[in-house]
Amino acid sequence: MKALHQLKKALSGSWKFLRRDKKALVGSIILFVLLLITAFPTWFTPDDPAAEIYTPGAGLSWSHILGTTSFGQDVFSQVMAGTRQSVMIALVVGFFCTLLSVAVGVTAAYKGGIIDDVLSLLTDVILVIPTFPLIIVLAAYAKSAGFWLMVFVLVATGWSYGARQLRVQALSLRNRDYLLAAKARGESSWYVIVVELLPPMTSLIVANFLGAALYAVLAESALQFVGLGNINTESWGTMLYWAQNNEALATGLPLWALAPGVAIAVLGSALALLNYAFDEIANPALRPVSGRKARKVRS
Amino acid sequence: MKFLIRRLGFLLVALWAALTINFFIPRLMPGNPAEAMMAKFHGHVNPSAIKALEVAFGVNTHASLLSEYFSYLNNTVHLNFGVSVSYFPLPVTSVISKALPWSLGLVGLTTILGFILGTGIGALAAWRRGGVLDSVLPPTFIVVSAFPYFWVGLLSIWLFSLTLNWFPLLGAYNETSTPAWNWPFIADVLWHAVLPASTILITSIGGWILTMRNNMITVVAEDYVKMARAKGLSPKRILWQYAGRNALLPNLTGFAMSLGFVISGAILVEYVYNYPGVGFMLLQAVENEDYPLMQALFLLITVAVLVAIFISDIATATLDPRTRSR
Amino acid sequence: MKFKAKTGLFASALTLVASMATMIVPGGIGVTSAGAASQVPLNLANEQGALWSCSFNPFIPTSSPYSVGLTYETLDFVDALNNAAVTPWLASSYAWSNGNKTLTFTIRQGVKWSDGTPFTAGDVVYTFDLLKKNPSLDVNAVWSVLSSVSAQGTDQVVMTFSSSAVPYFFYIAGQVPIVSQSVWSKISNPTTNAIANPVGTGGYIMNKCTPQNIQWKANPNYWQKGKAVTQVVNMPAFLSNNTCNEYLATGQSQWGSQFIPNIDSYYVKKSPGNSYWFPPVANVALFPNLDVAPLNDVAVREAISLGLDRSSISKIGEYGYEPAASQTGIVAPTFSSWSSSSAASMVGSGYNVAKAKSVLEADGYKMDSKGFFAKNGKELALDLSTNGGYSDWVASAQVMGQQLAKVGINITVQTPAANTFYSNLYAGKYQLAYNAEGGGPTPFYEMRQWLYSKNSAPIGTAASSNWERYSNPSVDALLNQYGSTTSSATQHSIVNKLENVMVTQFPVIPVLEEVDWFQYNSKDFTGFPSKTNPYAQPGLYNEPDWGYVLDNLKPLK
Repeated sequence: MKALHQLKKALSGSWKFLRRDKKALVGSIILFVLLLITAFPTWFTPDDPAAEIYTPGAGLSWSHILGTTSFGQDVFSQVMAGTRQSVMIALVVGFFCTLLSVAVGVTAAYKGGIIDDVLSLLTDVILVIPTFPLIIVLAAYAKSAGFWLMVFVLVATGWSYGARQLRVQALSLRNRDYLLAAKARGESSWYVIVVELLPPMTSLIVANFLGAALYAVLAESALQFVGLGNINTESWGTMLYWAQNNEALATGLPLWALAPGVAIAVLGSALALLNYAFDEIANPALRPVSGRKARKVRS
Repeated sequence: MKFLIRRLGFLLVALWAALTINFFIPRLMPGNPAEAMMAKFHGHVNPSAIKALEVAFGVNTHASLLSEYFSYLNNTVHLNFGVSVSYFPLPVTSVISKALPWSLGLVGLTTILGFILGTGIGALAAWRRGGVLDSVLPPTFIVVSAFPYFWVGLLSIWLFSLTLNWFPLLGAYNETSTPAWNWPFIADVLWHAVLPASTILITSIGGWILTMRNNMITVVAEDYVKMARAKGLSPKRILWQYAGRNALLPNLTGFAMSLGFVISGAILVEYVYNYPGVGFMLLQAVENEDYPLMQALFLLITVAVLVAIFISDIATATLDPRTRSR
Repeated sequence: MKFKAKTGLFASALTLVASMATMIVPGGIGVTSAGAASQVPLNLANEQGALWSCSFNPFIPTSSPYSVGLTYETLDFVDALNNAAVTPWLASSYAWSNGNKTLTFTIRQGVKWSDGTPFTAGDVVYTFDLLKKNPSLDVNAVWSVLSSVSAQGTDQVVMTFSSSAVPYFFYIAGQVPIVSQSVWSKISNPTTNAIANPVGTGGYIMNKCTPQNIQWKANPNYWQKGKAVTQVVNMPAFLSNNTCNEYLATGQSQWGSQFIPNIDSYYVKKSPGNSYWFPPVANVALFPNLDVAPLNDVAVREAISLGLDRSSISKIGEYGYEPAASQTGIVAPTFSSWSSSSAASMVGSGYNVAKAKSVLEADGYKMDSKGFFAKNGKELALDLSTNGGYSDWVASAQVMGQQLAKVGINITVQTPAANTFYSNLYAGKYQLAYNAEGGGPTPFYEMRQWLYSKNSAPIGTAASSNWERYSNPSVDALLNQYGSTTSSATQHSIVNKLENVMVTQFPVIPVLEEVDWFQYNSKDFTGFPSKTNPYAQPGLYNEPDWGYVLDNLKPLK
């Protein structure tokens, strides 16, 4: 009962904050539009993105808002169709990464002792090893990585940052009175963790989810750009791969190379803005300060 | 001292973990890609190089996994990484030594520059809370940090090289010149380096600025800063010598963690600009399925990051007396 | 204070960079050549994606293109673009005898190696013996047909064959680089030696090699007077196509072998004199795995061939650079003189979707609810794999997949990386594969690679060619018959019969014609091969052709 109430309080507080905060608002609107495109791609694609039947290398026109590729495909339709892959991988990787981060970070903080030492060591080692070269090596051996293999690679390399952050916060909450009270009441560890410990960490968990999602979008598009993804699908990173291979920039088709990048930047920005907003909820000191307050601080 | 020894121990564990991952990856992947590569070599490479490749990739496993593992570790310590496929018949170490200086130059300089500029700007932004810098910078840099590195690179190439012709198209220097320590060559190198370095700076500086700003905000709220102000110390002195110095420390540890991100960004930037560094070589090795080169590069990049982290730990230990007493 | 210092540092760094930018002359730094400084050096554009390893061993395929033809020469020059026309090179003449089982070369006198020692018949014998002792160096497998090579008199070399193999003349006389006995007898490990300073008889000597650039200079004592006139030749190392193409387009390089997208707007228009010529030399084809159902059914193969709109594939996948191929297997216009009119008329235009569908229907296939053909409950679904590293082939494969879907065949395009693709191809672990054979100076070479059963191997064992596992004793007999004759009329009639096999049995399905990539600037240099004068293959990777071309170039300033 109490836990539910706490959760509700945390969520309504966040909601109020988000409504006021411009960053969060912008981020949410963008994300909503992208989710819409993901769910109903055909509403937004005027042409079949794969069809190579239009004039290759055409410039801007009313029938091709962003021009065509050198294969004769409509760039705008491809960008719209590619939304699905990027959003899906962001959500899926974000979810599994957060799951793993919470499991490891909170367990380490709660259990303490040897378990904490071992889990912290594991987290720090993964954190310290440069992940992008590792991802490249894994993807190279896996050849044209399918969706789930890509998810596995990204989750395996991306969970440690969140785990560290969550562990720190869980540690600071661990000795609060209400937790000790719950333990004294005889509640099981599971109950204490899930019902009492996690709810106040909600905003940080959400921030982590968004951070992991952002990481997934950038890493996945980077892999596809260098040709390690599946070059037969439609996604933003693959568009960039083809544009690069056909020297789009140099041969007068810059939109082919720039448009998918803008799309990635838009999705990334939305996630980053929301991430930052939730960071601010978790740490009130970071919240934007109004002019009057600022003058006080400065003097 | 104890702090440093503990950190050194930790980094050695991390190094061992990386080596072990490197050992197991080719064995776990389906289809044993190494076999196809090995077939190219037989009859063309000297026996000790072949042996090194065999234990690294688990081909011709007459030996047990454990003994292969130890041979592999032994080879790594002796820097025997075998022979490169795409640069055949050159050994991997000589191939890497060609690319290393370029990466060190590009990544090293931009990281240092980014760190200095970023922490400076971040501290200033936090000091003047609610001011222009503070309200404009965070959202701007949040958005910029979400841009894919390689796309910023592509954009710069299109704008500055192809359209405006201010900078050369790609590469580290003009193809027909031979590297030499004379002024024309160095100037050429610097001119070619402006765009790649700027790209790395733009995309990574946001992180430095924001972390420093966030740290500063927390520090500025502390009591001793209020005390210093009450005592009448000049704001600039408080900013740099008290608050700044303490806010810097978490940034240094943050430096260690974010170095991984800078490296990954640098790899992509090198690829987009065809800058002949270690990152570009890694991606070329992937394209050519040059597994010996790929694995050696991965290890090299890992070692470089670990060394950089250790250096920052030394810096932290020097600057923060609390660590010394632990 | 510190902040000011910081801004000061930043500002001064910025000004330093800016001032240097203005000081540097755009256009880069050219290489200064000692001596003939008045002549423009010839800069080549051949992107390899890596820096140079400075290895010049003429027998190792990764390093041979940088020495064979320019430094090392062969006995004769065989022109693949002119029906195997022979020009004497290190051998002043040759003759077949003994039922085409003995080949005698008369070795040219007065030729010197670049280290000053005289070139003799003994060097030729030594070279072939070297290949015999070290089979890994014998990349053309000449010893699979030779039984002995020996000197005769002062200036003759006699080669005897274990079996009649006239077409091997191309490999023996036109592909084997002749090396110096005095130099190579001192080399302990010829199979792995990198050969940093090659000694040859050719027009160009390797002068300076760094990872960034290889420089050759003309051989002052070259035996062909009036040839090898260009003094300095540079081949910079390019790490990617983009830089290389830009270099070529802006005229900094005068001879390239690049794949350039939108070549008319991106290359030709950029500098005066920029021109290109893409002579077709072989076929890029679909290899159907004949051991795998339903590809063992000729109706399916015929339907595939009829369902491909080849000119559209060329336009979309290759910017139209590679002409459509013919099911007869004859590459036009290079080998048009070999074309059989009866086979050609059977093929027609080669693209007929309605006919493709009717062929399948006659074979018992019915269209299912998803729009694909099916027989006995099994849908006609096939994998089409190609080398994932060749983006133009991948693009072509994707177009083929879409076209065949319209016929009613469900194609899945697979693009594994090179090593995996080739090892699966050789072992027969594929269904449809899009690849090219090496070809040769007449259609026979490619057809033999395609159809000779002894080239093949059982599924699971690597086959060097004939990956589709085609086996037909009468075709083998025809190929052997060609191998034993020097009569042009017999050769033509055999090739015509092979064309008939191609259009009735569809063992291999040619899609596009592979071309030599060739760009050149006619303003600075003259003497390049052209459509009207196809005296050699013009690609910078064709050995020994490009060395031969280099000998014939003349600077215009």
